[in-house]
Formats: sequence, structure tokens, C-alpha cells
Amino acid sequence: MSTVTITTDINIGPFKIPSNGQNMIMNNYAQRNNLIVDVIIPEPMMSNALATVQWLHKDKKFSKVILCSIHQLPNIKNRIDELLKNMQNVEFHFALEGISGKGKTFLLECINEAKIFKNAKTIDSSKTTWSELYKLMQQKGTR
Amino acid sequence: MVKGLSLKLKYMDLYNKLISGPGYSVYPIENMKIFKKLRDSFVDKITTSIGSGKNINEVRKAMARMSKAEVNKAMINLLTFTNLSDMMIDSCPDLVETLCGKELFIQRRAHTIINVPGKDHSKQWTHYEMMSGISPFTYVLWAPLHDLDDDGGAYHIDQKISLEIMKKEEATGLVNGPTVFNMMENQKPPRLKFGEAVIFNPFVLHGNVPFNSEFARIACNVRFQSFNKPLLQKNTDYLKYYRLQ
Repeated sequence: MSTVTITTDINIGPFKIPSNGQNMIMNNYAQRNNLIVDVIIPEPMMSNALATVQWLHKDKKFSKVILCSIHQLPNIKNRIDELLKNMQNVEFHFALEGISGKGKTFLLECINEAKIFKNAKTIDSSKTTWSELYKLMQQKGTR
Repeated sequence: MVKGLSLKLKYMDLYNKLISGPGYSVYPIENMKIFKKLRDSFVDKITTSIGSGKNINEVRKAMARMSKAEVNKAMINLLTFTNLSDMMIDSCPDLVETLCGKELFIQRRAHTIINVPGKDHSKQWTHYEMMSGISPFTYVLWAPLHDLDDDGGAYHIDQKISLEIMKKEEATGLVNGPTVFNMMENQKPPRLKFGEAVIFNPFVLHGNVPFNSEFARIACNVRFQSFNKPLLQKNTDYLKYYRLQ
């Protein structure tokens, strides 16, 4: 029965977090929630399959998994199915969102929420100004 | 039918006020049953944390005597109040729907702000909500958990004035600089009643001033925007999807 933190690719949905930053975020989350981290698993870059943790879970039987964000969950059906099959008894924690839970329903809700945000339009703040943002609100309204 | 129409007109008027008028407005909470439940939940949670207070005024009195560190600790313990955002939104459903529709992005964790009286406390530098990276299509709903009988409330600056300052600051590359800081002088926060809220857009400058009282001021606030409008810098770290019933 152990708790693991998982680092992944630097690109996490809308965020760009290097692995040492990911470790800081997850360790701080663990500390605030009185969780003792036993294992640190680095998933390879350019993959969100979470295959390494699933492979190790078969032997080690993890009880809790900490990730930085729900955006690190897989988004392709067969990978989602694999994760749900192998890890549905494991408690998942997402540090940036500050949420945790376990089971198929919880994980599917998280995957769905990540998808909603992935599909949302985003204004590139590096290509706008305060005045332009104000104009946008005035012209487009808020509904 | 007539009642529905007059309600619609009232909300349209409010919508126009928030977009092209002063940018803020005082608004009566629609569902006081939910809002009272919210206040009672807060009292339950904070009582567990600080060890005293049977009602909101007793909590306020106890908190007025606490150090900054003790207040901060109590506020961190309030992170367990995970449904505060939902309760705030659900206490004003018609308002929220009029401004942003039924499908929303709402703040994952609404804030509870505890302001302790005295000169060394409760100075909230005048600021725009935009500075945090929320979308320009966001509104803030701010409501005290008790009557405001002193200057412990928040003041809001008319959108036109806020905008002029914003443009000047933009030209100098500053945000919330000395001009804004000096606006803290001579502000008079309105004395809202429990059950009243202030709704404002993210370009409206606002803040609060030190106040004298035997009681701390306790208020909560939540940010929300339409699901159909773009995000800015805040994502799942700050927002969650929410659908009004």
C-alpha cells in the first residue's frame, strides 16, 4: 500500500511545467494533505498513456497516485479503458485542481472535464493588451 | 407572464449597467435559503477550526482578536468548504443565467475573506480582478455573511474612471501602481445588509479600507463566466465546468 507521484511530459494541457516543477507541486500537495510519498514514477515525454504506472501497479499495488493535473490523464479511448480497468481501485489526487477520488465514475468525470477545457477557446494573453480585452468584453457581451 | 417580463427587463437593465454603465451593482440574493445555509456551513467549519463561536457574530468577535497568522490558518482550514462556489452561484441563479447563460465556468473554490479591524489590518490595495488572469468575460459576486454596520465593506470605482486609470497605467507598463494605491484614501464602502451582494465586472477597480469595530468582517466571493466565452490564463487550476439547474 503505497503512494506515488508521477511526472510526465512538460506540456500538460494548457500548462508548461518542467518535471522538477511538477515534483514541487506534487510534494507540496502531499505535505498539505499529510500524504507520504513512497515512489516517484517518471512517465516518458510525449505520452499521456500512464503506462509505466499501470505496469508497476501490477506488482506494487499502489493505493494512491498523485498527478499535477487532470490534463495528464489519457484522452484516447483504448488508453482510457486500460487505465479504468487497471487503476479503478486506486485513489487519484490532482494537485493543481485540488481534487481527489477513486473509481470509474470519478476518473471519467475528470477526463471529461479535461476535455471540456481542452475544447474551450482561449485568448492568447501574450498577443493582447488590457484595452483590447476591455473592448472585447464591450463588443461581444458576456453571454 | 407579466411578472416574467418585468423580471427579464430588470435583468436586462442590470446587464447593461454591468457592461456599459458603472460596471457594478448591488443585488439582492435570490435564494436566501441557500445563502443562509452557506453562512451556517461557514460558521460550523470555522468553529471547528478556531474553537469558538455559535453564530456569525460570535465568530466575528472571536476573529477580531486573532493575529494575522491565526486568521491565515483559519482561512487555510476553510479549503475544506469545497461546495462554497456552487452554493453562491445557486443562491443567485436568475442573475447568473441572465449574465452568462446556464452553462458556466465557475471558480473551483470560492474565496472567504476575513478582515480584521484596526489600522494594521484589512487594507486591500485597490485592484482590478483582471490582473489575476481571469477572462474579460468574468463577473465577481461578492457578499458579506452579515450586515455591514461599519466601514468594513468594499468600495467599487465607476468603470469609466477605472478605465481611464487602466489606460494610463498601461501606457507606463504599471498595473495597480501609485495612482491606484492613492485611491484608497477617503473611500467610503457601502453598508450592505446580509442578503445583499455586489456584482461587478473584472475592469472595475475595488478594494477596502481599514475600519474600527469589535467585529471582523467576513465575506465570500465567487467568479464565473459563460462556458461559451474564451478563457484567458485561468484554466482547470482555478475554474470548473458548472451547469445551472
